[in-house]
Amino acid sequence: MANVLINAPKTARRGETIELKALILHPMETGFRPGANGTIIPRNIIQDFTASWNGVEIFRMRMSPAIAANPYVSFCAVASESGVVRLRWSGDNGFAVEESVTVTVT
Amino acid sequence: MRRRLAAALAASLLFAGTARAADAPPGAWSCTGCHALSSAPSVPPNPIPALTGRPAVEIAGIMREFKSRGRPATVMGRIALGFSDAEIDAIAEWLARQDH
Amino acid sequence: MSTRRRTFLGLTAAALAAPALVRAQGAAKVVVVGGGFGGATCARFLKRFAPALAVTLVERQKTYTACPFSNEVIAGLRPLERQQFGYDGLARSGVTVATTAATAVDPAARTVMLADGTRLAYDRLVVAPGIDFDWTALPGYDEKAAERLPHAWKAGAQTLLLRRQLEAMRDGGLVVIAVPAPPYRCPPAPYERASQIAWYLKNSKPRSKVLVLDAKDSFSQQPLFRRAWSDLYPDLIEWVPLSQGGNVTSVDPATLTLETDFDSHKADVANVIPPQKAGALARLAGVADRTGWCPVEPTAFESTLQPGIHVLGDAALAGAMPKAASSANAQGKACAAAIADRLAGRPPQAPRLVSGCYTLAAPDYGFSLVGVYRPDKGELREVPGAGGASPLDSDPVLRAQEARYAEGWFRATTGEIFG
Ligand SMILES: Cc1cc2nc3c(=O)[nH]c(=O)nc-3n(C[C@H](O)[C@H](O)[C@H](O)COP(=O)(O)OP(=O)(O)OC[C@H]3O[C@@H](n4cnc5c(N)ncnc54)[C@H](O)[C@@H]3O)c2cc1C
Ligand code: HEC
Repeated sequence: MANVLINAPKTARRGETIELKALILHPMETGFRPGANGTIIPRNIIQDFTASWNGVEIFRMRMSPAIAANPYVSFCAVASESGVVRLRWSGDNGFAVEESVTVTVT
Repeated sequence: MRRRLAAALAASLLFAGTARAADAPPGAWSCTGCHALSSAPSVPPNPIPALTGRPAVEIAGIMREFKSRGRPATVMGRIALGFSDAEIDAIAEWLARQDH
Repeated sequence: MSTRRRTFLGLTAAALAAPALVRAQGAAKVVVVGGGFGGATCARFLKRFAPALAVTLVERQKTYTACPFSNEVIAGLRPLERQQFGYDGLARSGVTVATTAATAVDPAARTVMLADGTRLAYDRLVVAPGIDFDWTALPGYDEKAAERLPHAWKAGAQTLLLRRQLEAMRDGGLVVIAVPAPPYRCPPAPYERASQIAWYLKNSKPRSKVLVLDAKDSFSQQPLFRRAWSDLYPDLIEWVPLSQGGNVTSVDPATLTLETDFDSHKADVANVIPPQKAGALARLAGVADRTGWCPVEPTAFESTLQPGIHVLGDAALAGAMPKAASSANAQGKACAAAIADRLAGRPPQAPRLVSGCYTLAAPDYGFSLVGVYRPDKGELREVPGAGGASPLDSDPVLRAQEARYAEGWFRATTGEIFG
């Protein structure tokens, strides 16, 4: 949990549009930059971010080398049923992080 | 008395002030933001030493020591490195001439 | 662009050759708007470099209240009076001081309108209005909210308000400082403020805490501040960078609550430093670009948008120079020299500028950031190899010495401007 920040409402009314925010610590190294010794630093980026609500994908984002370090994503969803929102980041060098939050819909 | 002194000082500034900008080498006026130019004694004395009226060779010599880190300093080492020896000499000569 | 500039220079030379014909009477006129570190320096040095010039300084306030060391006022270590300066010294040096606001500029007619109805003609105009706050940038934070959550980023009543709030706070309270993304006035000052407030709390309300919510991930002289905080105020100051959710997105003045993207913080005392832009007059004079700041060339600080108008100090985009009083002071002299040279028909020489910014983490704990700058490829750049921050590993004697030199800088600079 240390390198991911998530902001989602704990409760929401049915049919309400809620905002979800997520930030992950990641260097997003472009693969174009020379390092201190002059050689190119290998690319190391997050390629894919997805969010699913009770197993159904509701948001997907492909990331490119142009995205800055520590990417911050905010998106909206309609709260239709109580459940678990699962956020997943994956990328170069087998990078994969998954976090989830629970939203109770009343 | 105080008033008259102030007026005299202002007048001397006005005329001494004909010293044109072009007379000062680049960077000379940056020194006076820390080293007060006025020779009027300040109370309490300013902890940053005054430079005016000191011989040019002395100022230039100290600046070279600051540059080579041969003289202990908090800020002057970092400042002196921004000037060539020729620039330092020009500034030192200008400072030595400022004694009003 | 370069053709326009040449035409303009030609015009100035013509105006100088026959001033009586072109501009009513006698001496060339320079109007300076803004009597802070930038403008007041420039006005004073214009008279020094070219005593025949008619120099008018337009400043809306009778008394100037300086920001450097105002964090010590907040800590209760210094009376506000030590920050305050009048304009008698400038008047004695031959500057005409107009205590009123400038309300409009007509660059074509080369006139400045004043709030008292006067219209001033100029041959050269210097604009040094400092900063204004962007009251639309942070939801919940407007001029009225600043009475509850002071910014104290223009010294004076706001400084005293923050001081009083700290004095009234209970021991065990939470002080929150919100820091904007750059650019803003004086990059290290928010962290100096955190240090000074921590000094007060440590000595008077030791169970309290300072929380710094920051819209960026690193800051000026960060290693020196981190060292000072762990030396002097262990566990008293917490810094939350952008990537840990530090960006404040809205404030609620009624409850003293600051919202970030990921959290909500209820403060006992909240110091909100709002996003900033050049003072309003810069926009009215047409010298501010879409960023809200003023692009200038690096020799005379002449606007690249409006020939004949120079911009100094915090309002200007001055290349690598930080928005600091020492920068504004250095720029004021360089600009005065260039204007004096140009009006006398001499080509201005390329300036060498030095800025030296002191920070006091405690009364006897100072460090500094120095820069030496010169025009290089059309921009003010640092002279390589010079400048930089105080060493990280330095003994307490040197830190105490720098604290004394800081006061020396303040006295020398304010003396040369206002004395
Ligand atoms: C807490 C704090 C601590 C700081 N500490 C330091 C430090 O230690 N060292 C350092 O170098 N810098 C420091 N600074 C930065 C320094 O205060 C500024 O960089 C400096 O004041 C900039 O000078 P200026 O002339 O551009 O603007 P200002 O000093 O703001 O002056 C602008 C003047 O213009 C006047 N004005 C504006 N518009 C008009 C108008 N339309 N008509 C008439 N008058 C007008 C205003 O009344 C004001 O007097 C600090 C700043 C803060 C907030
Ligand atoms: C930021 C403030 C600052 C500026 C600007 C500055 N000085 Fe200094 N100067 C100091 C301080 C502080 C000292 C004491 C030594 C130290 O700790 O660096 C000093 C010491 C000196 C000394 C030694 C004086 C003695 O008696 O020991 C000389 C010479 C000197 N400076 C010359 C200059 C010149 C020339 C310039 C302009 C190019 C300049 N200084 C600009 C702050 C400044």
